[in-house]
Amino acid sequence: MRLFRSLQHWLTGHGMRLQVADFVPKTPPLRQWAETFPWTALVAAIDRSFAPRFPKDSTRGRPRVSPRVLLALELLKHEVGASDEAICHRLRTDFAVMYACGIEAVQVDGSQEHLVLPETLAQFRQRLDEALIDERLAIQAAAAMEEGLVSPAHLLVDPFPSEQGSQRVTDATTLYKAQKKSATSSRPSRRPAPRKRLR
Amino acid sequence: MRRFGRQCRGQGKILVTVVRQTEQQLLQLGSPIAALAQAAQPGLQRVTHLAEPQRDRLAKQLQAAMEAHHAISTQSRRLTQGKRLHHCKIVHAYDGTIAPILKGKSNCPAQFGRKPGLLSEPTTGFIFALRVPPGNPSDPSYVLPMLDKAQGAINRVSRPRRLAIHSVAGDLGVNDAALREALHARGILTVGIPQTVAPIPPSPTQEEVCESLTAAGLHRKRTPHQVHLAFACGYSRPVVESHIASLLARGAGHIRYKGLQGAGVQIGMTVIAHNGAAMVRIRQLQLSKRAQKFRRLLGLRHRKINQINTSKN
Repeated sequence: MRLFRSLQHWLTGHGMRLQVADFVPKTPPLRQWAETFPWTALVAAIDRSFAPRFPKDSTRGRPRVSPRVLLALELLKHEVGASDEAICHRLRTDFAVMYACGIEAVQVDGSQEHLVLPETLAQFRQRLDEALIDERLAIQAAAAMEEGLVSPAHLLVDPFPSEQGSQRVTDATTLYKAQKKSATSSRPSRRPAPRKRLR
Repeated sequence: MRRFGRQCRGQGKILVTVVRQTEQQLLQLGSPIAALAQAAQPGLQRVTHLAEPQRDRLAKQLQAAMEAHHAISTQSRRLTQGKRLHHCKIVHAYDGTIAPILKGKSNCPAQFGRKPGLLSEPTTGFIFALRVPPGNPSDPSYVLPMLDKAQGAINRVSRPRRLAIHSVAGDLGVNDAALREALHARGILTVGIPQTVAPIPPSPTQEEVCESLTAAGLHRKRTPHQVHLAFACGYSRPVVESHIASLLARGAGHIRYKGLQGAGVQIGMTVIAHNGAAMVRIRQLQLSKRAQKFRRLLGLRHRKINQINTSKN
């Protein structure tokens, strides 16, 4: 299974190619949401940021997954509230997700070309930094302003609290609770032994 | 959350002994880091086959590892029985940038984390800039960096129409004299930032408009019409709460990615996804009456994309 997963980008299907746009009507919110983004500019910003930081030394290896697909998956993850695994799984079956990821056509018979592993998504995320996020937000805001949808004339500023990961108070508390648990579990059981059956 | 190790409201139990045990383990684990990092630094400089950005990234990671150990050892010396710790205390061994965010409420669900700041449009909720700082800095410190980011976005607009920031609104936490002066120097009105707990009047009188322009020294730069709009979009808690609620619904209330960088990525992605949804709402005219009125006053385009423009006969 692991070998299959690592080779999946070479596994191409055969038969007729389906046009993804034909299967996604114009009304679903996911399509309308995906059409608001200036994808070309966003992907160009990613390429500009990645090229000097993560230079490609060799031409060998499997072809990379398009940054357009990875970026769309990462955004979709937050839009639909899915996990990495769930959104990558939806990419296999959901035409609206394929459309949002910019996949134009898929093979009818068992095509695996467009699949993305959750690990690939996590690696992509690790490469993003604050400057790139700010740049993409600025690109999106500039596109919206050019279209005349929003105006920066009057703005509102407000911070909000956001809790981080585990809310265990401190590492000391974690250790204390672990010690308490281990002490409880190491005590001899108070339950009486089951009675022997009388013959 | 006043003291180290306190678990809930009521008894302020300080687990100093347990903290000492933990810190000993952490310090033992990290003691060779300083020597190893010092040995690695010249080695990193000598490596020639790595590109400059890659070398910088590795050097930063090395520096972060050294600083993390130093911070834990410094804090461990300060902890004494029953005494409060200083403001910038470490609450997480792996991440020194997390801070207590809800002061005085130790039994609340969010005790430690981050405080991202938003700069949004009051009508549609479109977010122009975002900032995820380390720790828990004061609210006024968010405003100018975020305005710089919004200005960067404005500078990207290529069309001939002149766009500028006219006013900034906020809550009482943003009320700071130095910040007001800095905003006035940039030609930005601050009538939306309250100075007292009294609510901001939605429609000011002529005298109030003149007074606010004189106080800001922006008689030539800003018009009375702009002041009226700034008063109208003055800070409204329900408005900003709706923007925040939209982000919370997309999972921004709980950061699952590691570190400050991870927090920035998660909140940033959430904000971009939220902006996409806001643009869909604007295109479909699914806006409140107040938002529609405000957009008319700002002269924003009104497109009826779903309406079929054919003859009604």
